[in-house]
Amino acid sequence: MINIITALQCEARPLIEYYKLRGNARHSAFRCYHNDEIQLIVSGIGKLAAATATTYLAASTLGATSCAWLNLGIAGHANKATGVPLLAHKLIDNASEQQWFPGIVMPISCDIDKPEQTYHKETMVDMEASGFYAAAARFQSCELIHSLKIISDNQQQTLEQITEKTTTAMINDNMATIDSIINPLLELSSQLNTIEQVPAEMYDFMAQWHFTTYQQNELRLLLRRWYALSLTNKPSHHDFATHTTSKAVLNAIKHFLDKQPISFNTKVIQ
Amino acid sequence: MHRLIYIEEEVADHPRTKEICERFPKATKVYCKYYGEVFNRKGQNFRLQKQQPALILARKHKKHVLNAPDGYGIGGRHNYYFSHMLNCVYDCRYCFLQGMYRSANYVIFVNYEEFQQAIIETAALHPDEESWFFSGYDCDSLAYEPVTDFTNHFLPTFSQLPNAHLELRTKSLQIRTLLKLEPIKNCVVAYSFTPETISKALEHGVSSVEKRIEAMFKLQQHGWQLGLRFDPMIYQEGFEEIYKNLFEQIFSRLPVDSIHSVSLGTLRTPKVFHQNMVNLYPEEKLFAGRFDENRGMITYQKELEEQMTRFCYDQLMQYIPQSLFFACTPPE
Repeated sequence: MINIITALQCEARPLIEYYKLRGNARHSAFRCYHNDEIQLIVSGIGKLAAATATTYLAASTLGATSCAWLNLGIAGHANKATGVPLLAHKLIDNASEQQWFPGIVMPISCDIDKPEQTYHKETMVDMEASGFYAAAARFQSCELIHSLKIISDNQQQTLEQITEKTTTAMINDNMATIDSIINPLLELSSQLNTIEQVPAEMYDFMAQWHFTTYQQNELRLLLRRWYALSLTNKPSHHDFATHTTSKAVLNAIKHFLDKQPISFNTKVIQ
Repeated sequence: MHRLIYIEEEVADHPRTKEICERFPKATKVYCKYYGEVFNRKGQNFRLQKQQPALILARKHKKHVLNAPDGYGIGGRHNYYFSHMLNCVYDCRYCFLQGMYRSANYVIFVNYEEFQQAIIETAALHPDEESWFFSGYDCDSLAYEPVTDFTNHFLPTFSQLPNAHLELRTKSLQIRTLLKLEPIKNCVVAYSFTPETISKALEHGVSSVEKRIEAMFKLQQHGWQLGLRFDPMIYQEGFEEIYKNLFEQIFSRLPVDSIHSVSLGTLRTPKVFHQNMVNLYPEEKLFAGRFDENRGMITYQKELEEQMTRFCYDQLMQYIPQSLFFACTPPE
């Protein structure tokens, strides 16, 4: 799953069409769109709006799967040509001088640079990235939070020349690059979900006995151990039906797992 | 190949920074005030970063030389370690680094000269005694040699300190520099081993046992003293056979008179690090076995530890004299 934040509707439009995103009427605070893998929110201009929209999206999907985050939009640059896509490797909030460093572990097909809020040599200038990153970093690790900007203005072609139409066109022209960032981020979030996945049998156990929050964590770890041992039988609450308390169930599972042989030979243990 | 190199502003113009950056001409350079901003920050995933680690070039300001932990030594009274690098190019599932650090990025401290000065000063604290310096605690001593040029810079320091000993602990085949240099008496090149089956399952990116033995053979022919480290010993059902085979394989190739020391150690990880490691790799069989907690350390059951240690010790005694053996066990 990936959450995308754009400031403007004209930045969002090419993504809505390309990924066939549907409007979500459930949300009234922001315009939101989604398909099975992507959620998009139009935040409005500025870092406060970006932070608010990011938090809103995170809160509305809290407890669900681990998501990647992408802030997509246009930015200025002192000397890069317009239309060039750049992925941020460092974000600086000029007001607070706070800095963030996205962790770039996925393959990328564009240059990388850093956005700020005023023109500097070799830096992008934008209005949302720092607010977006500060908020998203509360919910996800840095490898899954990125900011991709298309250069819309520079010292030769200034801000005044940007229109909704040119913005949409610039995003549209870079859809292949955008897609090449989104796909590996989806892959990374999928990897993280697999790592964090709760064994499905946990819910059967919880329906049968009452586990405290601490015990639920213990149960999760034990069921993960079960799978790590590559045992031929899956964990089933039926096998522990004789136990009346959750504590007894946990002890029985632990006792069973402690007795299992460990082998790193490539053959599966029978 | 690194895509990103983070550089502390303070070392941006350091000659070693420039040399290292020249090795990665396509990498984007990102400047930071202090390496901890990138390396120590919250909200990082070690496992995801390990797929594409960045390089961080920094200056180590203090504590260049530290006391080695209890049980980390080969008989000396004064044991120290120093880390010119943090993190390892290998990905060994039992390694405590993945539980200790938030980041899988590699940090290289480029101010080697300050480490060397600290080593000289520390050795001078024991003018009439021997002191040991271990370089492979927070990293593999040799694995990043083509980038760090570590041995070329640090061996000359030790060649002038006859009462100070250096242990290079490694699983690496990067021995080109050592084969070009004149061996020094106070340096031991110590290789870590687990049996091949375990190595294939848990030591990702590490060369085969056979290739490591061949590297050791070349080093001993050149005159370097060798160390053998079976630390940690990893349990599996029928461990006796695979460890027996490993010892046979090693000692059939390496003459005992080239061996400086052999050590055995059991698997032991601070509880917090162990929990982090299990959360990072919940599907890992290594962590699915039975473990006990003993004074904040996660270990195999006491009886199992004793059984493995006794067996491996008895086997080793068939090949080496007692005087070469050291147990890496923290005091009770």
